[in-house]
Amino acid sequence: MSVPTSDIDLFSDEVLLDPYPSYARLRELGGVVHLPGNDVYVLTRYDVIRDALGDWETFSSTRIGFNPAVNEALQGTSLASDPPVHDQLRATLTANLSPRALRGLKTQIQAKAGSLVDELVAQGSFEAIDALARAFPLEVVADLIGFTGHVRDNMLRWGQAAMQVIGPMNQRTAESFPIAGELYGWCATVTAEDLAPGSVGRGIFDAQARGDIPAGTAGHIIHQYLGAGVDTTIAAMGNIVALFAAHPEQFELVRKDAALVPAAFNEVLRFWAPVHAWGRLVTKDAEIDDAVVPAGAQVAILFGAGNRDPRHYDDPDAFLVERNPVDHLSFGYGPHGCAGQGLARLEAHAVIEALAHRVGRLVVGEELRIPSNITRSIERLPVVEVVPA
Amino acid sequence: MKIAADRARCEGHGVCADIAPEVYDLDDDAVVVPRFEVVPPELERKAEAGARVCPVAALRVTT
Repeated sequence: MSVPTSDIDLFSDEVLLDPYPSYARLRELGGVVHLPGNDVYVLTRYDVIRDALGDWETFSSTRIGFNPAVNEALQGTSLASDPPVHDQLRATLTANLSPRALRGLKTQIQAKAGSLVDELVAQGSFEAIDALARAFPLEVVADLIGFTGHVRDNMLRWGQAAMQVIGPMNQRTAESFPIAGELYGWCATVTAEDLAPGSVGRGIFDAQARGDIPAGTAGHIIHQYLGAGVDTTIAAMGNIVALFAAHPEQFELVRKDAALVPAAFNEVLRFWAPVHAWGRLVTKDAEIDDAVVPAGAQVAILFGAGNRDPRHYDDPDAFLVERNPVDHLSFGYGPHGCAGQGLARLEAHAVIEALAHRVGRLVVGEELRIPSNITRSIERLPVVEVVPA
Repeated sequence: MKIAADRARCEGHGVCADIAPEVYDLDDDAVVVPRFEVVPPELERKAEAGARVCPVAALRVTT
């Protein structure tokens, strides 16, 4: 059987703003669909995506981006490498991000979330993206890695640009490359003294100085913390507020049962995947659902399409906090599964808990979205009224 | 049914122990420790579910 094709443009404004109708059409065409216009093969169904994420030998990470320049720029990062090199790079990356490494941070992060939400509730209305979705992870990551001064001020635009340039060479990518270049440049020259004493960032340089990690890797690790951990977390935080506001009866369930907090975050991630498309290179002819994807093909994994696959989830287009989809695809899976997921969970659980304790209901105005190549997030979300708990 | 746990790959996310605590324990470093070499039949579904949700594919069950 040949691979079905579609003329959907994966990176058009329309698809980026609301990809779910396109995801559904593509998923019905097949587990893999060729998009000649984008020169990619998209993976659309849950099982197909999960199998590909687990099979690094067939689906190589050396082409996670959709233009050659970004794949070149990401060389030497664990994100863009395959085992066995990947495993050592990954170990250095996760040494400071694993749940055990982060255990001591939990109380601090909960306190930060609590006081921020207290402030916002007291204000009575606020703009959820700047005041919460961006403010909170930026502060957590900056304090954790030890960013100070101009870097702290640039984290948001650098983080956004680092994701944007993973897209195909369209106007959005072209405009973002100079900004991503600032990030690459800074990461290539950053030294221990640029990072706050006692921070994780400083610790990575100490490890490099001791020879525990190869020379030159500290900058790559800092690059990935900033490039991968900022924009996606911000997207998830904004989605929490928007989905709780849009589904007050679901928020009410979380308010009444704090044990639902982790399940609610899993459902937020399943319902709206922060990452739209992520690349892989097919290293050898791969048979998917009886169709063959040729060696050398560029694949785009559509996490959000897999997360709404009715073959895997009942009633997939409903937002249900009690569903607890622990196996959602938004963190990826396998050797390249999101290295920062432990930190993301800490941050999100803290914010959801804080909202559930302090807020009765959120009344929001119209959300604004801006098309973006890779990260799907809300740009502006006015909370016009906070009904206190 | 047996459990193959790759303790080097385990990063301590603890998702297995959250959903199948009867089968998976975590040590002081949060690294997975399966409670059985051979999974009792009544816990096989739990063992499978716990292995399936490992975010980094460090767990496999074999029959």
